[in-house]
Amino acid sequence: MSGVTLYVALVAFGVLAGVASGLLGVGGGTLMVPFLTLAVGLSQHAAEATSLLVILPTAISGTLALRRRGIGDAGLALRFGAFGAIGAVGGALLALALPASTLRIVFAVFVALVGVKLIYDGARVTPRSEQRG
Amino acid sequence: MRPGEASSGAARPGSGLLRIDRELVAIGILGGLLSGLLGVGGGIVMVPLLVLWARYGQREAHAASLGAIIPISVAGIATYGVAGEVRIGPAIALAAGSIVGVRGGAGLLARIDERLLKVVFGVFLVGVAVLLIAHR
Repeated sequence: MSGVTLYVALVAFGVLAGVASGLLGVGGGTLMVPFLTLAVGLSQHAAEATSLLVILPTAISGTLALRRRGIGDAGLALRFGAFGAIGAVGGALLALALPASTLRIVFAVFVALVGVKLIYDGARVTPRSEQRG
Repeated sequence: MRPGEASSGAARPGSGLLRIDRELVAIGILGGLLSGLLGVGGGIVMVPLLVLWARYGQREAHAASLGAIIPISVAGIATYGVAGEVRIGPAIALAAGSIVGVRGGAGLLARIDERLLKVVFGVFLVGVAVLLIAHR
């Protein structure tokens, strides 16, 4: 992809990542990092760095939207996120120092296990959850 | 979460104005670590941990995770920025789309059935895992 096409694709993919982000409470980086490496051709490190730069305005926008709807406690979220910031510096330094392929496999297995557990929980029929959404 | 339990994380004891649960500190640090390491928001670990460990309801967990991602991503951007890895052009294009998309997603989050939300998130996680393994 090149030039205008690339940027149109980026904006379109951004919309998709944004919807996932707002609905799923994630940054959207799980979608954007593979996209940036595979479709745009960035290196793993550049893709991760760029993804984080997209995640910041997305999270701010999503948090404001949720706050208007009275969902969640933004103050508490920011406070525990401040501890997360310490972890993020450590994680980024580690990523810059390491080829992350082994860790990505461990991460993938973790993610898959949690996903299966959630699908199992969600798909299990409980009388209470039939009442309303 | 146990079936009879209330789904609001905000109503839990210990999550008052000034104190913060140890679980939350640990979840924040872990989420941040993975965020920095993998260039993701960290929600992919924070949401499950908030639900399974800190006993948040699914909807509250997603909202808390999204808020926590703000300071986490600032720290990650700063660290990668110093290393010169940030690509501004693609970031602006992606952000232009995602800022719009996230409002739609947040609107959905406000309305969706929690059980359906769990299944959607679970499918998303499994899909991500397959992608990560396939493209190493």
